[in-house]
Amino acid sequence: MPTIRFTTSDREVTFPDGDEVNLLRVAIRNDCGIPFKCASGNCGTDRVRVEAGSEHCVPPRRRERDRLGDLLGHGYRLACQTYVVGDVTVAWDPDQTEMELGSRAIDRLKQVWLTREDTA
Amino acid sequence: MTELLSQPEFRLALENAIKGREAKNASFSLAWANGELTREHFARWAENHYHYVGPFSDYLAYIYANTPESARGAKDFLLQNMYEEELSDVRHTDLLIRFAEACGTTRERVVDIENATAVTRGLQGWCYAIAMREHFVTATAALVVGLESQVPSIYRRQYPVLLEKYGFTEDETEFFDLHITADEIHGERGYQIVLEHATTPQLQQRCLQLVGHGAEARFSYTKALYDTYVMKPDTPVANPEPALA
Ligand code: FES
Repeated sequence: MPTIRFTTSDREVTFPDGDEVNLLRVAIRNDCGIPFKCASGNCGTDRVRVEAGSEHCVPPRRRERDRLGDLLGHGYRLACQTYVVGDVTVAWDPDQTEMELGSRAIDRLKQVWLTREDTA
Repeated sequence: MTELLSQPEFRLALENAIKGREAKNASFSLAWANGELTREHFARWAENHYHYVGPFSDYLAYIYANTPESARGAKDFLLQNMYEEELSDVRHTDLLIRFAEACGTTRERVVDIENATAVTRGLQGWCYAIAMREHFVTATAALVVGLESQVPSIYRRQYPVLLEKYGFTEDETEFFDLHITADEIHGERGYQIVLEHATTPQLQQRCLQLVGHGAEARFSYTKALYDTYVMKPDTPVANPEPALA
């Protein structure tokens, strides 16, 4: 059975052969401690560094590519967007928060709440 | 008298309450995944789906109001879920309308409930009734575990065929891509909340009953789409379908 190793929280979780599992879902279900917020690939709170087994992660789709940009090339993935099919080891900064404040969410809120003059 | 189930037993029972009634196995879902539908069918799907998922934040808001301060984690989950649905990025219903327009229908037709089937209207009404009237934990079981947690298993089959077989773009189908992962996490948090807060045999049994009802409702809704738009019996909706370009 494949194993996901969460080195930052010193946890290991196995899953059945042939399954394709969502990394953040596994972490939540087994209290492995990956921080998260939006679950939609927007905030980046759940970024993890894949220390081993990146070939067992399903390739990133558009939302993850857009959010992580260059970090993808440095071995980072968003746990909420990542599906895993084999042995993988991941780590993260336990205190990490959203990737940046000037996100699309802020733009959206401005659009909803502020007039043109207010934002000028 | 029924005993209180342990959390692992209760989780298994919740999962079993959905089994055999999964919407991914309803006729419309199967035809979709097998590449047997057309853009016109998807247009009709979007015109119905809007009236089921469009008020999802409203449903959650009723549950939020019924959730006590002592269940702060559950309240925060509901609020975050509403925020993601409406404000954090493109509003999810706008993503659905973007897909609908790519299928040849219009925003006006999508938001007009006259274009939904009676079963869709029934599903919407059931969701409102559960959200307003049930204990927060049984409502969460019904709407998040029974309905929302099924979404990834449905869309993970349907999304790739939209790109590969039906020729939609990633932009047109963002609604599906988004929900594959978001509802995976919402579903898991929903399970956690229900496991933690259904602390009596009565609450557990009511959760199991409503998860079953929710799964049946979604299955029936999906099947009705096939019966109405693919089989085309004599049960038209009020507004006739326009000829699509
Ligand atoms: S939790 Fe926000 S990007 Fe994954």
